Amino acid sequence: MVTLHTTYGPIKIELDAEKAPATVANFLMYVREGFYDGTIFHRVIDNFMIQGGGFDSEMNQKATQDPIENEADNGLKNDFGTIAMARTMDPHSATAQFFINVKDNDFLNHSGKTMQGWGYAVFGRVVEGDDVLEKIRAVPTTSRSGHQDVPTEAVIIESATLDEDSGEVA
Amino acid sequence: MTAAVYFISDLHLDAERPAVTRALFDFLQKITGDTNGAPASALYILGDLFEFWVGDDDDSPLVGEVADALREFSESGPDLYLMHGNRDFLIGADYAARAGAQLLDDPVVVTTGGNDLLLMHGDSLCTRDEDYQRFRTLARSPEWKADVLARSLDERRRLAAQLRMASRDAGSRKAADIMDVTPSEVERIRRETGVRTLIHGHTHRPARHDEPGGTRWVLGDWDAQGWFLRHENGELQLNKFDVIQ
Repeated sequence: MVTLHTTYGPIKIELDAEKAPATVANFLMYVREGFYDGTIFHRVIDNFMIQGGGFDSEMNQKATQDPIENEADNGLKNDFGTIAMARTMDPHSATAQFFINVKDNDFLNHSGKTMQGWGYAVFGRVVEGDDVLEKIRAVPTTSRSGHQDVPTEAVIIESATLDEDSGEVA
Repeated sequence: MTAAVYFISDLHLDAERPAVTRALFDFLQKITGDTNGAPASALYILGDLFEFWVGDDDDSPLVGEVADALREFSESGPDLYLMHGNRDFLIGADYAARAGAQLLDDPVVVTTGGNDLLLMHGDSLCTRDEDYQRFRTLARSPEWKADVLARSLDERRRLAAQLRMASRDAGSRKAADIMDVTPSEVERIRRETGVRTLIHGHTHRPARHDEPGGTRWVLGDWDAQGWFLRHENGELQLNKFDVIQ
């Protein structure tokens, strides 16, 4: 279990290391090194998803490790409250940024091993903090530093902590 | 007094942001009967008018309303020019005709009020983003376009939604400056065209840059604020205004 301690409250996430082993290992590496501490949710689209884990509160982008393989073909769906890796148009380009679906986004699911069909790799789900998601998805947004849908007031992930006793195979 | 020419880009019109669509309609009305100077003689839309484009056969209300407003504008007198952006590069001749607009190449040189202006969307200037440039080359090929447009409207909408989730900053250890223009590419295109004044959008970093090779005007994206560049009496001026939410 990983907890994102945000300015709107804690979001507890249960990771699925069985279905998304590489993605979970990658996520935990960033959690352990404190990479996410002080990053923000920089892309918030109500009725879609909230994306974060890549920029600090001044909208400076953090340098990441190498991109990982896309595990979107693991059967997990981009439903409300699931967490998935953000990426560029290249299916295998995810590094540190992730997003939490705030609605069932079927069109993000894997449908084939093509650039259009790869989809977005889900690797866990929110088990506590739906109310926090509801608050974050509704914050006012603006465009900033070349990005759209940036919260007017930064939504900060003050820290991301790992609960080692959660019994996960991580 | 010479007539005024306007440049806008990166409105990213989307049914989910109706305030921006309303702001465009207000803007078209204002520049038609300009109280501060000459009315518009031309409007150049330099790419990403729409957040995404699934094909000219898109029957969504937004697409129809925008075509109607643009056609009304161009029929009232001003010339209307439309350039593709990286989001709406599938806009075709049919939609341009519906909107009363002429499609522009990217880059293109136009002469207005005796000044040569080099117009671009701007994505092709970001040469350091190699992943994106590979996609751009692919997506602008006739084969890729034909393949996409041959699919059903539903399938194309799904594809557009998938692409919307993709974010250029999410992967591959990209530094922020990769997503800005490459100065040497700006100079290259200036030399190639022999035009010193460049106007582009795409980067969402509205500014006037006085560079050794000439002036570069960057248009802003429309969100909480809208941006336009106005050319009148040989002068260019970048303006912003609040978008009423």
